Amino acid sequence: MRRLEQKKLLTLITSRALEKMIIETLRLRGVGGYTVVQASGAGSSGLQSGMLECDSNILIYIILSEARLVTLLDDLDDMMHRNYRIKVIVTDISILPRKIARGSASDE
Amino acid sequence: MDAKSFATLLDPAILFFFLGMFAAMVRSNLEIPAPIAKVLSLYLLMAIGIKGGVALSVSGIHAQMMVGLSIALFMAFFVPLYTFPLLRRKLDGFNAAAIAATYGSVSAVTFIAAGQFLDNQGVAYGGYMAVALVIMEAPAVIMAVGLAALTRARLAKKDVTVAVTNTARDHGAFSLKNILHESFTDGAIILLMGSLLIGVIVGEDGYKVIKPFTGDLFKGVLAFFLLEMGILVARRVREMKGVGPFLVAFAFLIPILNAVIVISLAHFSGLSTGDTLMLAVLAASASYIVVPAVVRVAIPEANPGLYFGMALALTFPFNIVLGIPLYYHVIQAF
Repeated sequence: MRRLEQKKLLTLITSRALEKMIIETLRLRGVGGYTVVQASGAGSSGLQSGMLECDSNILIYIILSEARLVTLLDDLDDMMHRNYRIKVIVTDISILPRKIARGSASDE
Repeated sequence: MDAKSFATLLDPAILFFFLGMFAAMVRSNLEIPAPIAKVLSLYLLMAIGIKGGVALSVSGIHAQMMVGLSIALFMAFFVPLYTFPLLRRKLDGFNAAAIAATYGSVSAVTFIAAGQFLDNQGVAYGGYMAVALVIMEAPAVIMAVGLAALTRARLAKKDVTVAVTNTARDHGAFSLKNILHESFTDGAIILLMGSLLIGVIVGEDGYKVIKPFTGDLFKGVLAFFLLEMGILVARRVREMKGVGPFLVAFAFLIPILNAVIVISLAHFSGLSTGDTLMLAVLAASASYIVVPAVVRVAIPEANPGLYFGMALALTFPFNIVLGIPLYYHVIQAF
């Protein structure tokens, strides 16, 4: 088996209303890959039923290197300082790296 | 309240709203899946848009329409202007601005319920009312974002720890262009205006083809959608326990005051009963979809539990159950 690669998994829990703004921030930091999952729940902003734009939560998953993570955390910290309601969770993960097709160059 | 307007409470749509509230109160597992609820709300906007467009194609552009739209635009600016200082007596600038924006803007579902009420009473209203709904969407939120920016600047001057240097402007959330873009490209607005335009183009003859879908099914879909709204409202009411008497009174009295202002203006301008009621309901309603979503990005300091909760859990049910028949009675008493 190929060797596992050490990466960071950044999980963000936030309002669906903030999705565009956060994705734009990721893009500016050169992060092009992410996964968004619709979610419902409750927290300090009250019930998030998932029915209307303003009471729906999302989970954003981003797998990235530690170097990229640090710059992104600065941006997220700045947003939280401006009172944006975002939960930021960082996890150490191991992934099976993407297999590079024979003959093509890596984009990493 | 006479028997005819009391009958509004017995309208199937309103009764389904109560059923939804009851289901949520007894913690039933009754639920309409989110994508279906979304389809129902899109259907209602399409149906109301095309109906308005067809009515416009028959009536054409007339002086009353310009008067009605002027009153709509005036209220969109006036409501946040007078509610902001009122709210500042009890709240910080951010929450005051956010609530002022919510109440200055409009709720499409309340508007649709008012149209249904008039249909039941056999009273007609102008097709241009859908245009009034659209132009009342954005001004309040633009003003509120400006008021929040002033509050931010004032706090920064006082040397309070507020991050003004690095505002949301960096992320493109704060500019006037962005707010206008969010307000006018919102899916609901595009569908409503598009359907209105299609209604104008196809006219009465073209409407006949689509009427079995957009006309005959309307009442049933509205009832189904209000069932879902009842569930949402009752769940949210439970969250409103911490809201003080001032904001509860605001959520019930400001809609009445706004409606009375519109009714007075419309009376002196000679607008019809139907147009006056629709304008009064637009001014009395508070946005719980578009504005809260924009405010969440533009005024992150404000508590969504307050501005969103008040609009959805207090003002919305008040308007569709009591407000609409009440405003109608006031118009008739004038």
